[in-house]
Amino acid sequence: MAIIETKDLVFEYIRRDEEGNVEGITRAVDDVSLSVKQGDFVAVLGHNGSGKSTLAKHINAILYPTEGTVWVDGMNTSDEDKLWDIRQEAGMVFQNPDNQIIGQVVEEDVGFGPENLGVPTKEIWERVEESLKAVGMYEFRKHSPNKLSGGQKQRVSIAGVIAMHPKCIVLDEPTAMLDPNGRKEVIRAVRALNDVEGITIILITHYMEEIIHANKVFVMDSGKVVMEGTPREIFSQVEKLKSLRLDVPQVTLLAHELRKSGLDVPEGILTTDELIKALGL
Amino acid sequence: MSIVLEHVNHIYESGTAMEFPALTDINLVIPDGQFIGLIGHTGSGKSTLVQHLNGLLKPTGGKIYYNGSDINADGYNKKELRSKVGLVFQYPEHQLFEIDVFTDVCFGPRNLGLDKKEVELRAYAALKQVGLSDEYFYQSPFDLSGGQKRRVAIAGVLAMKPEVLILDEPTAGLDPKGRDEILDQIAKLREETGMTVILVSHSMEDVAKYVDRIIVMNKSRVLYDDEPKKVFSHYKELEAVGLAAPQITYIMQALKEKGLPVDTEITSVAEARTAILNALADKSRSR
Repeated sequence: MAIIETKDLVFEYIRRDEEGNVEGITRAVDDVSLSVKQGDFVAVLGHNGSGKSTLAKHINAILYPTEGTVWVDGMNTSDEDKLWDIRQEAGMVFQNPDNQIIGQVVEEDVGFGPENLGVPTKEIWERVEESLKAVGMYEFRKHSPNKLSGGQKQRVSIAGVIAMHPKCIVLDEPTAMLDPNGRKEVIRAVRALNDVEGITIILITHYMEEIIHANKVFVMDSGKVVMEGTPREIFSQVEKLKSLRLDVPQVTLLAHELRKSGLDVPEGILTTDELIKALGL
Repeated sequence: MSIVLEHVNHIYESGTAMEFPALTDINLVIPDGQFIGLIGHTGSGKSTLVQHLNGLLKPTGGKIYYNGSDINADGYNKKELRSKVGLVFQYPEHQLFEIDVFTDVCFGPRNLGLDKKEVELRAYAALKQVGLSDEYFYQSPFDLSGGQKRRVAIAGVLAMKPEVLILDEPTAGLDPKGRDEILDQIAKLREETGMTVILVSHSMEDVAKYVDRIIVMNKSRVLYDDEPKKVFSHYKELEAVGLAAPQITYIMQALKEKGLPVDTEITSVAEARTAILNALADKSRSR
């Protein structure tokens, strides 16, 4: 069954002047119908302003559709009675870890979510422990979040979401502010959640090499889904991606350039090992 | 003319239990016109270092000279220094505040006490330099896209006509095309004006593509200070301090291990393509 489904989803930002008259309407999401299966690792690509984040904010009911419908695990996000269930099932992680951490101690921060759900104290502590272990931050449980690196803070943010036992996590550019190591740590943690815990992942990113492990990629442009496929299918279309202001991983680009120079290398190479094989080394 | 740092130290919360050294014995010479990449993991001291260059922070030890004068000496004109050494912070679009784009860019030069005409000429030139077209000039900066807002913010600093431009992660959160556009524009600007550019970045691919010198910070000290190819040849050491080489460098390393005789100091896809084609041609000839 689909954990997330949208049908004919449209969202319009309405700009108003000081008197409240409508000055302009921007259609940020334009007629999107898509479906994500439980356990999928989905990546969403698209240039700045293509509608990725607006789409993501519909998944945990921060925004409601102007037209069309969004269902999370069968619940319509426009149904106010289901709001808290939806937010518990679909967690969200944002770009800046400093805006998401509120606790003075790591374990308290992670416990905040389940506490708000009214989970019994003993179970809160169990959830905090398992969540911190899932992202590899258990040994930092007594630390102050201020003293952590960006990647560590972001993993604490993710643990805070996991502690609410969501079926699905939406990550909106979780690595944009991190150094290379921090990026690796976060992506590793996200992949483990998907592989081991079976949590559905929706990852929005501008780093092309982060999505090669996804099993499905959506590419957005002007509010519409314009490409859909596996990473290999998507990255086989180097020129099309460039026209959408996107890019491919360096290894994919290198293979593409070698192919253009007449070598017998397939499109859509995703890893160095694949390139080595293609070159017959 | 240059920036010189001599034995610069900076200790936060000195003398308390929270004491933390952010800079330790930094010695650098930054000559005019260089394009420098400053890299290091989060907390390595990069941001603390750049805030010393325009006098926002005072060193707790050591001296900083701008064009031969000690910038922390009594009576040194820091206001003038800050117009010469322009600093674009991370997410500079958060600092936009005026009612329209043009007025926002005018803010800096107006504070220099220039007359209205000069202020407007500079604002216009700066917005052109960052490639923003006229149609946006009288829009609210808040209605622009992320990449456009960032251009406006950079224009605000350029309008001060700095001799040194420091950018703290100018491309964080931008899409790949936006990254290339902003960095291409900065590279072009530097060629035209001869200004010094210091780029703080977490993207090794960007740094490799644009700069002529890389300074690597680790735990408050300078770990490497050399041309990009030399620095990235230490990729194992870089990984140990939370950094990496560009992806392409690893690919070349792997190809060489598999017996393809290619240069492993390569840092761009175009170079890699040529090197692989040449190596394969040599290989088939010798067969």
